[in-house]
Amino acid sequence: MASEKVASRRFTHLFTEDWLAVVVGLALVALVLTGILKNIP
Amino acid sequence: MSDRVLTSGEVVSASRPEPSKQWAWWSASLLLVVLLTVATWKLNKAVPTWSKQLRVIEFPVYAVLLGLLASGVLSVFGIKDRLAAYFRTEFFLKTGLVLLGATINLAEIVAFGAKGLLQAVILITTVFFFTWFVARWLGVEDKLRALLAASVAICGVSAAITAAGAVLAKKEQLAYVTGLVILFALPLMFLQPAAAIWLNLSPNVAGAWIGGNIDTTAAVVGAGTLHSQQALKVATIAKLSQNALIGVVAFLLALYWVVVVERKPGQRPSAWEIWERFPKFVLGFIVASIVVTVALSNGWIGSGVKRDLGHLREWFFIAAFLSIGFGLSFRGLREAGWRPIGVYALATVFNTLVALGAATVIFR
Repeated sequence: MASEKVASRRFTHLFTEDWLAVVVGLALVALVLTGILKNIP
Repeated sequence: MSDRVLTSGEVVSASRPEPSKQWAWWSASLLLVVLLTVATWKLNKAVPTWSKQLRVIEFPVYAVLLGLLASGVLSVFGIKDRLAAYFRTEFFLKTGLVLLGATINLAEIVAFGAKGLLQAVILITTVFFFTWFVARWLGVEDKLRALLAASVAICGVSAAITAAGAVLAKKEQLAYVTGLVILFALPLMFLQPAAAIWLNLSPNVAGAWIGGNIDTTAAVVGAGTLHSQQALKVATIAKLSQNALIGVVAFLLALYWVVVVERKPGQRPSAWEIWERFPKFVLGFIVASIVVTVALSNGWIGSGVKRDLGHLREWFFIAAFLSIGFGLSFRGLREAGWRPIGVYALATVFNTLVALGAATVIFR
């Protein structure tokens, strides 16, 4: 049970806003670097 | 709504409407954030064209004021809490910080040469610890102390934002420090080039002094321009050298907070605990910085890409400061008291003197 709880905590940890910001931020960097997003005002 | 910058539970759910109505409120909230962000961006572009003096006022001021205004108006109509869903300070701030990392070209630290780096390291170290200990002596709260020290020692608003992410500061503390940065930059923009001329400093020394002391980039450009073109060039290099080290400071500050400040008495945190509490945006910041540095160094991307990344970062920071204004508590601001103003003033005087000494020795 204890290990399940730890695993569950680790899993939900991946979905915090902290990680979401990293994923979105790096995705936006990738979009700009590849030229998909450009001429941003 | 939480008062911390780094919490994920910012959605206010005082009374939950039916799912279909909830979607309507969420859509309206998203639309409101987008509209206010665009309005702030337009203000930030328009106001500096009205007067030179207003150039130093940067977007956080307009964003917080518009956020406060929106919050006041919606409170009157009793719908503020229902429209709060997308005012997510943490998400906007941290995404902006990853994008900030992408605008920092690590190769520039080398390109600026030993002089710029030496001055940056001396100023960041001495000014940070001076501010840190003066603030502690005056009894300023730990997190506010970190924000004050980082903003005076490195590069004003960006450093304050980064430090706020690293130490999980309150949004009121970030708004307070950002206000101080802009308030102190305005007179310095005019006084420092005049003092450099009065002291008969060479353009190189004057530029290094301006870049090493004034906190906001807009005010550094303004002050450098008032002195000479060469001073502007050196001031920009000195400022960029300090900015380039922001990731190092963020990493060390976050680690110090997790390992020392938040440690339970008599307990040594495990590696897993350190990892769990460590703000992950710092990793995103470093990865983005390395990727862009490698791409720029190899000529895979042009300078236009860096400009686009800078603009994108500004959009996210505008949305973050709007969210701060939207949820700002005046009680939180009052709690900070007058002491941070005294600390900032003392630190600015110290920074001015140390920067003058360092610039005179290093850039003569």
